[in-house]
Amino acid sequence: MRPLEFGRLAWRSIGSHRLRSALTTLGIIIGIAAVIAFVTLGASLQAGLLGDISPDDQRNLYGWAADPDTEGGPLAGAQPVFTQDDLERVDELEDVDAAYGYMPISTQALAYDGELTPQSDALIAAGPPYIRPATIDEGRQFEMGEREAVINPAVAGQFEENVSVGDELTIVRQGGEQTSVTVVGITDSSEGLSPFEGFEPSPRVYVPTDPYYTEEVDGIGAGFEDGEAAEDEAGEAEPADDDNDEPATAEDARFLAIVVEAPSADEGDIDQARDSALAVLESGDSDASELLGDDLEITMQTSTELLQQLQDVLDLLQNFIVGIAAISLVVGSIGIANIMLVSVTERTREIGIMKAVGAQNRDVLGLFLTEAVVLGIIGAILGTVLGLAVGYAGAWYIDIPLVYPYEYVALAVAVGILVGVLSGLYPAWRAARTDPIDALRYE
Amino acid sequence: MATGTAVSLKHVRKTYQLAEPVHALDGVDLEIPEGSYTAIMGPSGSGKSTLMNLVGCLDTPTDGTVVVGGQDVGDLDDRERTTLRGTTVGFVFQTFNLMPRLTALENVALPQLFQGISRGERNDRARELLERVGLGDRMDHMPNELSGGQRQRVALARALVNDPTIVLADEPSGNLDTETEADVLDLFDEFHDAGTTMLVVTHERHVASRAERIVHLLDGQIERIEELDGSETSPRSSAGQTTGHDRDHGHDHDPDHDERTGPASGANG
Repeated sequence: MRPLEFGRLAWRSIGSHRLRSALTTLGIIIGIAAVIAFVTLGASLQAGLLGDISPDDQRNLYGWAADPDTEGGPLAGAQPVFTQDDLERVDELEDVDAAYGYMPISTQALAYDGELTPQSDALIAAGPPYIRPATIDEGRQFEMGEREAVINPAVAGQFEENVSVGDELTIVRQGGEQTSVTVVGITDSSEGLSPFEGFEPSPRVYVPTDPYYTEEVDGIGAGFEDGEAAEDEAGEAEPADDDNDEPATAEDARFLAIVVEAPSADEGDIDQARDSALAVLESGDSDASELLGDDLEITMQTSTELLQQLQDVLDLLQNFIVGIAAISLVVGSIGIANIMLVSVTERTREIGIMKAVGAQNRDVLGLFLTEAVVLGIIGAILGTVLGLAVGYAGAWYIDIPLVYPYEYVALAVAVGILVGVLSGLYPAWRAARTDPIDALRYE
Repeated sequence: MATGTAVSLKHVRKTYQLAEPVHALDGVDLEIPEGSYTAIMGPSGSGKSTLMNLVGCLDTPTDGTVVVGGQDVGDLDDRERTTLRGTTVGFVFQTFNLMPRLTALENVALPQLFQGISRGERNDRARELLERVGLGDRMDHMPNELSGGQRQRVALARALVNDPTIVLADEPSGNLDTETEADVLDLFDEFHDAGTTMLVVTHERHVASRAERIVHLLDGQIERIEELDGSETSPRSSAGQTTGHDRDHGHDHDPDHDERTGPASGANG
């Protein structure tokens, strides 16, 4: 007997018990839908995160020095170790397109046109390439050594009158002194430009490290920052500074982090840039190496690599949820097995008739197995459709790009078949070994 | 066509191990020639059903041999027996036993499905048979849309679909009224005349009397064989039909049951 004939007979029998078949497949539908929905959301979330890394950013390496035991994201436990000298040496490397320092600077407030808004952590000092051309909506990058700034839309829009290119902003520093800055560019989005900032939207003012960071060091000695970094630095960095026993100068400004631009996003180029930069920074010649040791090592990673940690957590969470959803699949299979057993008993006489007219055991087995598999496949297909719909709605609701995990759709159908076979095997075997004499007498 | 032997039973015994061994058939010798029309009569418990199951290759004898279509049923495994049953035996049941979710056409075609015959071929054959039993206009009806007589005609068509060596009918008119019963039995006659071997189990005299001969069963043994051309053979006098070999199994059978069977079957009918 051919598979197609099995299919037709199975379909006939399923069709004659529509409600029962529908309820039976519901377990599978819910199970598959839950798995597909969560996987779709997970994949979309991941794509959303990775999508935040612009192509230009993919060649950037973000480096900082921290205790290797420190857990956490970018800059966790970071200490300012990189001097201007170090940065220049890395910048000159052949394998490196550009290198510059990164330093968040604490502020008290931002003022525009006499209007003051309290702002503690909006100021970020970096090199001009930090403002990637693709992220500039209006204007240009700031220039090193100039009192210029690029602001993001959150800053531009936070005053009564919108700040535009060419306007002057006043920055009130932690110590209370004020410094002015000319806005030369506005970015296209308020999200962070690098993993150092985090990706969430927040008001940010990007300025060149020179003069904004170096002059701060000039003014107040060691460039202490707020929070943890400052405290840690007091223990770690100061003794090193003591060696000089001179007033701190711009040369002594140490940066919290370094951004190294590889020539391209190609993996080989990135690795080479990383290796060369690390070799310079860890060699005895660098200023940073004085401070490095067992409990202070340099980490240098791309945005993608840094996000990997977050992705690992996401993956774990997703696997956990998918695991729970899979339990519903098991329950669904038991439902199919149960209904198939009822069906076998109910159709004992039919089995007897088929055997009397020449159906082999394997024909009967195949018939009932096909029925279970058809139920499984129907459940899998409907579940997949439902799951994709839920994933679509979810992705739309939390506003992330929708990514359909096509391999899971194929997997879902395979699971449907598997569930059908597993749950149908025993009932079908029972049907196959029914004695035709008894079956024909069965009322 | 009526040249060879369709079915032959030799010293057949069937014992069921219940609380004590029950001999459903206790030494039966019977030859059913090809093209013949045989009726089997007997009261309940006389072994009719067991005989049907054996001839229908649904069961195997405890002792003795059952040869159907030239093959010894006892020598075959389950799969071969099923094949033999599918190709050489056609069943007609008292309760019709049609597949409830298949149309008349599909029901008739069902046995050929299990023989791996293509759908087109199956349906052609089924159509031809349904037309022969007068149901050309009911092919796509479900069994529950057909009357009892129509259902039994579908069942007969189904029994004939594989050109069986023998058609086994178990109380074929038991669920029919007199008029439709006559129609169905007329069809039996028609197919018998066309060369089909018929074996009808019944306890109704007027049904049995359509056959060429009636085998009377009692307590698992052939009590007598009644030839409907007038003659009658008792097992004792007909050498080869029944032997007394089962005697040595220690069962005390009264050989002279003749007067009991007649009235009993009459009462049942």
